[in-house]
Amino acid sequence: MGPEASAATPPFPMPAGSAPILEVSEVAVGYGGVRAVDGVSLGISPGEVLGVIGPNGAGKSSLLGAIGGQVRASRGRVQLGDRDVTRMMPHQRARLGLMRTFQTTSEFSRMTVFENLVTSAEGNSGASLAAVVLHPHRTAVREREVAERAWSVLERFEMTHTADLYGRELSGGQRRLVEIMRCLMREPRVLLLDEPMVGVAPHLTGKLIDDLRGVAREGLGILIVEHALEVVHRLCDRVVVMAFGKVIAAGAFEEVVKDPQVQSAYLS
Amino acid sequence: MSAWSFYIGTLLIYFAVDALSAISLNLQFGYAGVVNFGYIVFQAAGAYAAAVVVLGKSAGPGSFQQYVFGAHLPFPLDLVVATLAGALLSLAVGLFSLRRMRRDYQAAMLLIVSLIALQVVSADVPLFNGANGLTGVGWPLGQIFGLSAPASPWVYAAWAVGITIVVYVGVVWLSRSPWGRSLRAMRDHEDAASAMGLNITALRLQVFVIGGAIAGLSGGLLVEYIGAWSPGAWGYAETFVVFTAIFVGGVGNYKGVLLGTLLVPIIFLELPRFLPSIGYPGLTDSLQWVAIGLAWMLCLLFRPRGIIPERRARARRLAATVLEPSPIKEGA
Repeated sequence: MGPEASAATPPFPMPAGSAPILEVSEVAVGYGGVRAVDGVSLGISPGEVLGVIGPNGAGKSSLLGAIGGQVRASRGRVQLGDRDVTRMMPHQRARLGLMRTFQTTSEFSRMTVFENLVTSAEGNSGASLAAVVLHPHRTAVREREVAERAWSVLERFEMTHTADLYGRELSGGQRRLVEIMRCLMREPRVLLLDEPMVGVAPHLTGKLIDDLRGVAREGLGILIVEHALEVVHRLCDRVVVMAFGKVIAAGAFEEVVKDPQVQSAYLS
Repeated sequence: MSAWSFYIGTLLIYFAVDALSAISLNLQFGYAGVVNFGYIVFQAAGAYAAAVVVLGKSAGPGSFQQYVFGAHLPFPLDLVVATLAGALLSLAVGLFSLRRMRRDYQAAMLLIVSLIALQVVSADVPLFNGANGLTGVGWPLGQIFGLSAPASPWVYAAWAVGITIVVYVGVVWLSRSPWGRSLRAMRDHEDAASAMGLNITALRLQVFVIGGAIAGLSGGLLVEYIGAWSPGAWGYAETFVVFTAIFVGGVGNYKGVLLGTLLVPIIFLELPRFLPSIGYPGLTDSLQWVAIGLAWMLCLLFRPRGIIPERRARARRLAATVLEPSPIKEGA
């Protein structure tokens, strides 16, 4: 399937062979008179890493907000698998497997790293008041499973030594890792990452890229907004370039960076 | 009974009632981050509700006090009604004031609710006898045994402290449960908590209603001892006494909150009664409020987490209760 030319929104080329796990159609976001996102469409397949790049103010984070539910889309549709999630609250989307991180780190600062992870896994009916009061035994069994899982995720990211540290005691890079680990506690289907490499030490960037690729291989789709182009190059299967709320180019990294429209958007 | 015995017994009752307030406000504010600047309204709701179901039928306009819903309910219905009044009012207020808006706006809204409620109850005399308030409220439980509250403060104190212990244990248990952990996540970062699958609106409303129920219960306990309740007892500043107790003791730590309850409402507000009065009449009372404000400010400046700060839940401890055998014990 090749890209079809359209002046307003170049429809995003889907990789052949697999149904998209996340499909965004003609989504628009406005703040007052400003159109931050203006009819963006894209799709992600299971196992795929899609990069969204573009100059500051291009609407990347607003797009992520519209997909995650933090920002209301004024039009368009967001579909997760076969579910239309456009009108759902963020927690409902999360429960369906749509997890995200934030541009400014969002660790739970007065909770330990371990608790950060455990809370995420319980962010569903397992932690509800009714479950806690009416089914204490079931809750305890679930706590056990979740604690084991939290420990294995900490081991995977070599972060076990931080288990007892408060979120606010971590370095910027560690906070990013906590956010990503927290998402993985729930076995997401789609992961939205908003500039996950900011503050991460250069020698850890490579490891994080490998980790994310490994996570994607397990079959989840990753959408990543990132300014560091070398990261995008190494991590992403495909890239979408945004400027002024619209998609101006899409395709493999090597192709889109040669696009004159992309070059002028970055230089302007 | 000596005056001293009466006084100490009364202080103990006040401590129990204030501890109930501080425990429930700590659940709301210290754990869930809900800045309930209207807290005292829910205690007042419980106190009025208990009063009118204990006082019996109102004699109506022209009598020395008039009120709505007059009834003679036996124990424990008086306290059940008080608890329900706090919970239902919390639900009603929470539904419109805890919507998705910034926390400082919610706090402002709750403070305004507190001011409006005070004005309405003061002005609407048929409701709860206006500014004069209600008097002659008895103690249904005591009456069963032929006791009156003022005559047996130590019995009443034991009763009030007993209730406080039960509530304390329940609230601490809830706070340490996965539900309590979700509250802390919401407190630390609402957007992230919601993006992790937590239903923020539901959590906030739940904690608001539970806190309101405890506030109502504390109001019922208080009014059945002192026998009277009027708008003078629940000015918005009373909420700030409870907040100060939490800040001084330790936000998010129930032991700290009990210590704060001992220090602030009891020592600051009660002890000055024994000091020689200075200046013009009423000066000592006013200085108490200055002392409360100063305590809060000094605490925020020099010890913002309070005397006993929130306890760190270590992974090993967290897991030890649920993991056996534990990979964490071996790994850490």
